[in-house]
Amino acid sequence: MTDFTGFRFNRRALLRGAIGASIMAMAPQLRAATPAGYRALAFSGGGAVAAGDSFLTSEDGGATWRQGARPGASPVALAAHPERSGRLIVALEGGGVAVSDNRGETLILGGRGLPAAEISALATAARLPDTLYAAIPGDGLWRSEDAGESWEFVMDRPFIAGEERDVLSLASVDLASGMGGIWLYGGSTAGLQRVPDCFCRWQDVQPEHALDALVEGAEAPEPRPLPAGEPVRALISSAAAPSRLWAALPSGIWISADAGLTWETANAIAATALAGDPTNPDTLIAASPDGLFHSRDAGRSWTASTIL
Amino acid sequence: MSKAHHGNGSAERKAAALLAATTLALASVSSAAASGPAEVTFLGSPSSAESIAVGETLYAEHCAACHGENREGQPDWRRRLDTGRMPAPPQDGTGHSFTHSDAHLFAMTKLGIEAVVPGYESDMPAFEGILEDAEIIAILSFVKANWPEERRAYQASLPGMDAGRPGE
Repeated sequence: MTDFTGFRFNRRALLRGAIGASIMAMAPQLRAATPAGYRALAFSGGGAVAAGDSFLTSEDGGATWRQGARPGASPVALAAHPERSGRLIVALEGGGVAVSDNRGETLILGGRGLPAAEISALATAARLPDTLYAAIPGDGLWRSEDAGESWEFVMDRPFIAGEERDVLSLASVDLASGMGGIWLYGGSTAGLQRVPDCFCRWQDVQPEHALDALVEGAEAPEPRPLPAGEPVRALISSAAAPSRLWAALPSGIWISADAGLTWETANAIAATALAGDPTNPDTLIAASPDGLFHSRDAGRSWTASTIL
Repeated sequence: MSKAHHGNGSAERKAAALLAATTLALASVSSAAASGPAEVTFLGSPSSAESIAVGETLYAEHCAACHGENREGQPDWRRRLDTGRMPAPPQDGTGHSFTHSDAHLFAMTKLGIEAVVPGYESDMPAFEGILEDAEIIAILSFVKANWPEERRAYQASLPGMDAGRPGE
């Protein structure tokens, strides 16, 4: 005899299960605050990447994150270029550089020629996707023209207030230096300077017509620099609007709309890393001791990001 | 980007204007001897073989002590000295001189690096009062004549290099 009761019961259970599953599917996914410890950020391959003990990836401009690969060595800095989709250049804790072509899933060691010291800042050249710059504390600035495989020393450290200063952050800013190239900005332990990418000399950010003013005796525009003496922990330029810069200092996130001549404070977040969406200057991400944040208004306001 | 170009171009036009008479005079002297060792111009005017030869002598007297007898620069010139200042870079095309326009090279030599980078401290003195304008141009013509051709071509393409040419 066939047990229809049982069948009916099972069918009801199946129906309940289906309804339950539908409700679950409609419910918001469980989210938690992002953990601290993510100290390197980049936009690569159409999404964002954060690196700490593991990689996190985001496909919505840093609002939500998912766990990614767990690298063998801890990254301390990331660099990417919009023309090299999915490629990440990774500076490793303790020294050295690795390259990933799949947003951190696999890493290949590079860094031939670099001294055995940890890199404090890493950037790609805005106009040359395979050219990288790395700063090494106590040493200076290094350049790779083959996507991180080999490196050469190109420049000493900035000299600010009577001392050489370690560079903590680098940004290749796609604005003509007047010397056939563009500018590389360096945020140091004691302020901001820049050097043309011919590497002739570190210098303060000057009004673009400073020489005109000197020749004519005219009044140059008044610079309004970052607070003197504060370390510039992170520095980025918008690929879509290179005159727009963001700097992360202990006093907060600062914004410049004129390539670093004048700055204004935007937010008190004590960020240690910043990255900007190369396609949208309003979309930024920040890492801080309190976790990851994202901004949709060019850094004016920030929202805590979540991990899925 | 274009604004920066205009800014520098404008600055260099002004610097070049200060030199126009000197340069034109030099060009007129050199017109009989246009077959120099290389096609070298300075501020848009051809540099003669004679002026390049004069420049070589003046370079040995005034520049070689720091920039090197063979224009090779000071040893380890990319590393800062204990004073915080940078060593003298090469002038043989392996440094960065070719990334500066003629007007900037002239201004830095005559007035010091601070003329181009305000506030910058350098061991290189200003040669105003030591060398005549034409002598500075001769030295820089000699230096340019000995850059590799691709370095001269790079410098010729700089945004400030079209400033100061006669008729422009």
